Amino acid sequence: MSFLLELGIKVILMLAVVLTAALVTIYAELKAGSHMQTRIGPYYAGGKWGWAQPLADGAKFIQKEDLAPAKADRTVFGFAPYVVMMSTLAVFAVIPMGPDIVATNLDLGVYFILAISSLSVLGVLMAGWSSANKYSLIGGLRAAAQLIAYELPLVLAVVAVVVQAGTMSMNGIVEAQQATLFTIGGVEVALPYILSGQIIGFTIFMIAAVAELSRIPFDMPIAESELTMGYLTEYSGIRFTMFFLGEYASLVALSAIATTLYLGGYAVPFLPESMENFAGPGIFLIKVSFLVFLIIWIRWTWPRLREDQLQSMAWRWLIPLALFNIALISVFKVVL
Amino acid sequence: MSDQPDTAVAEEADPLAEYAAGITERLGADGFSVEFGTVRVFVDRDKWVETINDARKELPFFSWLSAIDWSKETEVGEGVADPDDLVERFEVMCRLSSVTNADGAIFFATLPKDDATIGSLTATIGGAEWHEREAHEMFGIMFEGNDNLIPLYLPDAFIGNPLLKSFPLIAREVKPWPGDVDVEGLPEPEEVLAAEEATP
Amino acid sequence: MTSKELMHRSEVAVSVELETPDMTLNIGPQHPSTHGVLRLIAKVDGERITEVEPVIGYMHRGYEKLSEVRTYLQITALVNRIDWVSGFANEVPFILGVEKLMGVEAPERAQWIRLILSELFRISSHLVFMSSYPLELGATTPLMYVLREREHILELIEGVTGGRFHPNFNRVGGIKPNYGGGKQTKTQSMDLPAGFFKATLKAMDSIDQICDDIDTLVTGNELIRARTVDVGVIPADKAIEYGMSGPNLRASGVAYDLRKVENYLPYDQLDFDVISRPGGDCYDRYIVRLLEIRESAKIVRQAIDMIPVGPLQAKVPRVLKVPSGQVYSRAENPKGEFGYYIVSEGGKMPYRLKIRSTSFSNLTILPWILKGQLIPDLVAIMGSLDFVLGDVDR
Repeated sequence: MSFLLELGIKVILMLAVVLTAALVTIYAELKAGSHMQTRIGPYYAGGKWGWAQPLADGAKFIQKEDLAPAKADRTVFGFAPYVVMMSTLAVFAVIPMGPDIVATNLDLGVYFILAISSLSVLGVLMAGWSSANKYSLIGGLRAAAQLIAYELPLVLAVVAVVVQAGTMSMNGIVEAQQATLFTIGGVEVALPYILSGQIIGFTIFMIAAVAELSRIPFDMPIAESELTMGYLTEYSGIRFTMFFLGEYASLVALSAIATTLYLGGYAVPFLPESMENFAGPGIFLIKVSFLVFLIIWIRWTWPRLREDQLQSMAWRWLIPLALFNIALISVFKVVL
Repeated sequence: MSDQPDTAVAEEADPLAEYAAGITERLGADGFSVEFGTVRVFVDRDKWVETINDARKELPFFSWLSAIDWSKETEVGEGVADPDDLVERFEVMCRLSSVTNADGAIFFATLPKDDATIGSLTATIGGAEWHEREAHEMFGIMFEGNDNLIPLYLPDAFIGNPLLKSFPLIAREVKPWPGDVDVEGLPEPEEVLAAEEATP
Repeated sequence: MTSKELMHRSEVAVSVELETPDMTLNIGPQHPSTHGVLRLIAKVDGERITEVEPVIGYMHRGYEKLSEVRTYLQITALVNRIDWVSGFANEVPFILGVEKLMGVEAPERAQWIRLILSELFRISSHLVFMSSYPLELGATTPLMYVLREREHILELIEGVTGGRFHPNFNRVGGIKPNYGGGKQTKTQSMDLPAGFFKATLKAMDSIDQICDDIDTLVTGNELIRARTVDVGVIPADKAIEYGMSGPNLRASGVAYDLRKVENYLPYDQLDFDVISRPGGDCYDRYIVRLLEIRESAKIVRQAIDMIPVGPLQAKVPRVLKVPSGQVYSRAENPKGEFGYYIVSEGGKMPYRLKIRSTSFSNLTILPWILKGQLIPDLVAIMGSLDFVLGDVDR
């Protein structure tokens, strides 16, 4: 198989999986949110349970006029949604859904993810600045401040995982979680990291992930009651769709990273290794949906924090806690 | 109504009248009137600001400030009862009240139409600013000391003072008021009348 | 040095080092958290507001002028559009004022019905606050639960008055007779629809239930507390100076409720508490309203026990001519003191009607309270003042 053909197949497959996942997540949010609010939610589109609502929404957005403010920097304005989308999609390249079901098994997978997922804030900042709108600008700046505050605990939480696993490869981390932890009556027990020492790290990671996603309670960059829609204010039509899809794709992406790092990825205890390529994607998706649901649940329950409260929470609580977590894991690693 | 605002119309034993007389004396105001449970205290316009500030010691709550345009001729609505006796003037009114009991009084100052100027309360009562701006744009009254008398409700380019009796209501000029039929009174079904008769 | 002082010092140091030019931020008139068409011209330094200039009047309908060309009965229909969330409560002081001028008094049953409806509108208005305030802080879900319960109240109101928002139910000397009412006897007049009392008691139970739900969903939430406690503190003397009234004044520690001090409607026969809190912050304004819903439910229950039977309408002339005189009549609107200064010259229409609307006075404090606040706190403070733009602009 030629390199280009292989690349093409991989790209198409990955796009199909990610975009479908994003659409399903949008539907899940519509439906779960509705039921949490004693509503029915989408009901008619597609015939049953409104399953086609995200597609209908997408079709509607594409038909809309793609407006840009007169004073906007059009190049940057037009480019911003693609930066966000690209950084989200690229994350999936290294996430394994089975021992061999992975686009590229990079040795520095974790490093790649952390680097590439931070790029999305560049798109947000571009959108905020180029919109020629003060609300957008404040939204973009808030997003940048939020990224700086939350990238650190996120990285530090992941460092603890890398220390425990001894590798930066995503596949390697999943395999490390299948290593026997202890034996009870001859049965070898392997536990995912969330149950073997990383519970603090997992909590920090999830908080930081929600903050990076700019979702309630950390949705200050878009805060519709304060900044109308923040950096999204001036976007419409297809570009808004890109942001919208990108938001849900990165929700899936961060859940997938958390699944890989903390929940054992495609593996479950006692599942024979030969089955993993076959059952792995299913197991992986179940775990991801659980985390996605958790984040949706939070959104429909809680109010929004204030930017300065978020900052003080990150710098005064999460970062010290994450450092403590690294120390703790390192001690365990040496002692055990 | 009387144009000599100086005497109480209520009987002697009325506690409200006693209260009104008391506050008028304490503030050194010109006179008072009590009707329908409403205490009105009349103040000289030169003493307006200091009287209100004194009054706030016992009636701290600033409720509202507004004005009345007493005019012989009216463009809209019904005029005064006897236009011949009327002295054309503005009355600026400000209500203060207690925050512990029902005490309260409306302070009145009379302004001539050709010199509708009075002191501003904004130096001591922050809440008076919007009320004074409203009175300024609606009646054209000047409040000396309030240098922010820009229109509150009306568009910047609006000309005229809408609450003056001489200001026409354009909507009425353009189209006759459909509600201007003589009021037919309340519907009185037999049942209601029967119920009325049933009570002594 | 405490950590708070340290933080303050560091903020000062930063703002000295990084001097930024002020930006003028135009908030509104179309903005999600301005409840309609309020506009704020804010000078902001980063996220901190240095100065704010509210611009109102986008909804000015000139009710004071329009009242001068309408008969007293027609004005009733006008004034319940001032604060549309609590229409009935706007009618009451006007009608009471006209009744004072005419020397008529509504029959007892009519007064009790006015009282019950006023309290239902108070519950309805406070429930709107309970739903919109968390929404402004970013929590979307309480809205749905609270508005669902409000619907029960609106149904009751609709059953009695025929209107959900604009009841136009008061008449001089009584209330509107209801043709669709219950069974007629000599002692029971046709006023409230059949089953009204039972349905109201049931609704009051569900109101208590939703108050419990709000307590668990909103009141106890740390994030809500973080956003509201010690935010937008209005000391009592400032609240009095700016003429704030109602729950906003009571949240600043001044237990002033016209239902207790002003002698109107049979409130003196009822047992209820005036809710007040000492803090004066957004959280206290929220709590005062929440507790007032429970008090109002208590009042409605008692009123249903005590309501007498009897006529609904005192004898008034067919053509309403109000004798000369001036009266100030006020009542406790859900948002505070609502009053009318009626100047009658003996005709069918008032010579001058001054409307003391609550939200207008409550908002005069905005430039003072918003100075030096953060943009997110602006939303929290404005929401906590619970204003209706129709009530501001009249």
